[in-house]
Amino acid sequence: MADLTPTPSDVPAVVLDNVSKSFGDHTVLDGVSLTIERGSIAVMLGPSGTGKSVLLRCLVGLLQPDQGRVLVFGEDVAALDEKRAADRKRLFAVRRRFGMLFQDGALFDDMTVFDNVAFPMRLHTDLSEQAIHEKVSDRLARVGVAHAEQKFPSELSGGMRKRVAFARAIAIDPDIVLCDEPSSGLDPVMSATLDELILELHRTLGMTFIIISHDTAEARKVADTIGMLANGKLVTFGPAERVFAENHPALEQFFTRATVGPIKVV
Amino acid sequence: MDKLLRSLHTLGALVMFAGQVARSAFTPPVYLGETLRMMNVLAKRCVIPVSLAVAPVGAVISLQGISIFKLFGAERMLSSFLGTAIFREYSPALASVMVAAQAGSSIAARIGTMKVRGQIDALAVMSVDPVRFVVVPGVLACVIVAPLLSVLTNLLGVFSGWVFAVPIGGVDHGAFMEHLTAQITPADLWIGLGKCSLFGLGVGLIAGYLGLNVGKGAADVGKAANDTVVSTIVLILLVDYAVSMALLGAGL
Repeated sequence: MADLTPTPSDVPAVVLDNVSKSFGDHTVLDGVSLTIERGSIAVMLGPSGTGKSVLLRCLVGLLQPDQGRVLVFGEDVAALDEKRAADRKRLFAVRRRFGMLFQDGALFDDMTVFDNVAFPMRLHTDLSEQAIHEKVSDRLARVGVAHAEQKFPSELSGGMRKRVAFARAIAIDPDIVLCDEPSSGLDPVMSATLDELILELHRTLGMTFIIISHDTAEARKVADTIGMLANGKLVTFGPAERVFAENHPALEQFFTRATVGPIKVV
Repeated sequence: MDKLLRSLHTLGALVMFAGQVARSAFTPPVYLGETLRMMNVLAKRCVIPVSLAVAPVGAVISLQGISIFKLFGAERMLSSFLGTAIFREYSPALASVMVAAQAGSSIAARIGTMKVRGQIDALAVMSVDPVRFVVVPGVLACVIVAPLLSVLTNLLGVFSGWVFAVPIGGVDHGAFMEHLTAQITPADLWIGLGKCSLFGLGVGLIAGYLGLNVGKGAADVGKAANDTVVSTIVLILLVDYAVSMALLGAGL
């Protein structure tokens, strides 16, 4: 998708500056700062309940952090109030640069698979129905569910729903694709296929991917940037080779599936 | 005291929500296709239950009324009472109550399910205002479909009343029609349709509000649908009473 608000090419895709978020007494993000460059594939690892999904939601303005800045192509999403018309317009402009794969797919139940994937195209592009048809077919073929075009989400398996949701997330060639647990619910072969699709889209269209995952194999395969959240803090973040070489104890525990280490089972 | 404050808070939130819906309904983008789709869904869902609810009422009015009117030798005038009761009161109230039961619960359940399953968030991430896309079409559909159903129930109610008055009760057909057309004025029709639209607006707003503010699980979705039905039916009956009193007071 073409940039709606052109930004200088040296502006990073995402910058989090000292972002914190609590729910009641529970702090899920505690002073998180990081920079994700354009065209990178960043994988955020971490145990359940450490704020990975909250981080994604802060990026698209579904949640407001208690403090800190969330810059998306230089626009501070955290400063935009969706209830104010002027802010909403800017927030929607930022959101149009995202595609998001939700953990449970979040497909619209009363639309067919085809209509689900066509939905963002019909809303945000001037494509003809013929062009939309071709593009939807291409996206569905890429994720291996071309045969299910006319089915409803309730007729699909969990893995198929996830793949359709991924097709919808990349429907209008967004600048940034957010993936919340893309491989959960998928068999290993389909999971690997999805990883290869991410690499191909990254290579051919230059999309930036921010992936929340528990899947260490996926992280090793696709990530050029790795981060690890534990107990609300970003314990390590940087280029994949460096992070793997440093082998932070929390990361080591995660990769070796050890029950003893800095990550506590609550 | 806490309960009173909570109720006032909910009422205030509902008024704010109504303002948001009104702004969204009259400013672009308006999702006309989604509104037409909702109208189609709601009309199909409501037409049979509404018909089944209103038709026996006309029959009962004739059945009970004819014995009373006979005491005064005025059974020829039964249709005056039947027409007024059906057009102004029973048809709008029953059509709206059935819209609340069928359409209100289904709108609240649909929006609540979308919320619980993350589809409302998905809309927001796709830069689609959920109020515009899922609430406004439901509200508009209720406002338009409820009076259309009322037209149908007017006819059905009067017809079933005619069956029990004329062929069964022995009232003269000519006299029945004469008193019916003499008594029913265009104002009766418009008042009935206007009440239906007003009640439809209430059903759509409450269903949308409760659906969007649902809790986190399937049980909460069921509760939102149930609360929609109970609160809108109570509201319809109370407002119906108040509107009827006000109109009679105003000589209408």
